[in-house]
Amino acid sequence: MHEASIALNILDIAADNCRKAGYNRIESIRLRIGRASGIMTDSLLFAFNALKADTIASEAGVIIDEIPVGGICDKCGKDFITEEKYVLCCPECGSTSFNIKTGRELEIADMEVV
Amino acid sequence: MKVKVVTRILEANERIAAENRRLFDEAGVYVINLMSGPGAGKTSLLERTIKELNGKIKAAVIEGDIAGTSDAERIGSLGVPVIQINTGGACHLDANMINEVLESLPLKETDMLFIENVGNLVCPAEFNIGEDMKVMLSSITEGDDKPLKYPLMFQESSALILNKIDLLPYTNANIKKIKKDAISLNPSLKIFAVSCKTGQGLNEWADWLVKRIKS
Repeated sequence: MHEASIALNILDIAADNCRKAGYNRIESIRLRIGRASGIMTDSLLFAFNALKADTIASEAGVIIDEIPVGGICDKCGKDFITEEKYVLCCPECGSTSFNIKTGRELEIADMEVV
Repeated sequence: MKVKVVTRILEANERIAAENRRLFDEAGVYVINLMSGPGAGKTSLLERTIKELNGKIKAAVIEGDIAGTSDAERIGSLGVPVIQINTGGACHLDANMINEVLESLPLKETDMLFIENVGNLVCPAEFNIGEDMKVMLSSITEGDDKPLKYPLMFQESSALILNKIDLLPYTNANIKKIKKDAISLNPSLKIFAVSCKTGQGLNEWADWLVKRIKS
């Protein structure tokens, strides 16, 4: 996907929230990234580390919480979580009618600031 | 000190997309984000569709390409308002690019706005631009393995148009497999098989579009 522009967005949002909270240095940022979000985490970390120099996050580490793809089946009614990135049918009953609930996340959860 | 953030990283794009959507709704324009790989026939489909819809609805078009104005010239020759966006390298349109050109379109006199995204089966599916509906085009000559190779676009789209159906006898593509795989990725997907060369199937597609118009 667009890991460098996403890393820039993360830096902007984090710096903004850090200053709003009255702090001026970011020590770590925790992200929630769904497995089906299209993000390659290695590439995101590489871009983040290259772009953080000269920002208030210049020393910041990134912690990534990977969120698996999960949903609820319309037919058997069961909640499911899968290791796959894309779900073609309900892992429980094989039905192709289901709703995906998790796995597309791309958000900053929280961060440590000083 | 821990600070809770809980902000979507693509929030800026989502915000502008919502603003575009508000402008479209206010003007009563139904907006279609048309996506496909390069060469599937997006511009040909638009040419055919505009002719089919002539007299039934008022259309306008935004053309997205990395470079060049050939698509806008083709559409412009049909007498509908058209704007060309050149992304200058970016592989998809985003909400802000659309927002910047809206002033130049007669939205109030438009029933349906077609936005032709940059030819790419990956990134356009990831960015909302304020559309009512995403429509994807896949041509028979691209082969029958595209749904399982590029699942996101098939999942995000409301309709799939299979173009170049006239070439089916000359390829190994299995149209039943395309339909089956696409439906298993997206059970509510509406599928049309068309040929922009012969005109086959375009009636049905155009009739379906007319029903989407905001009253």
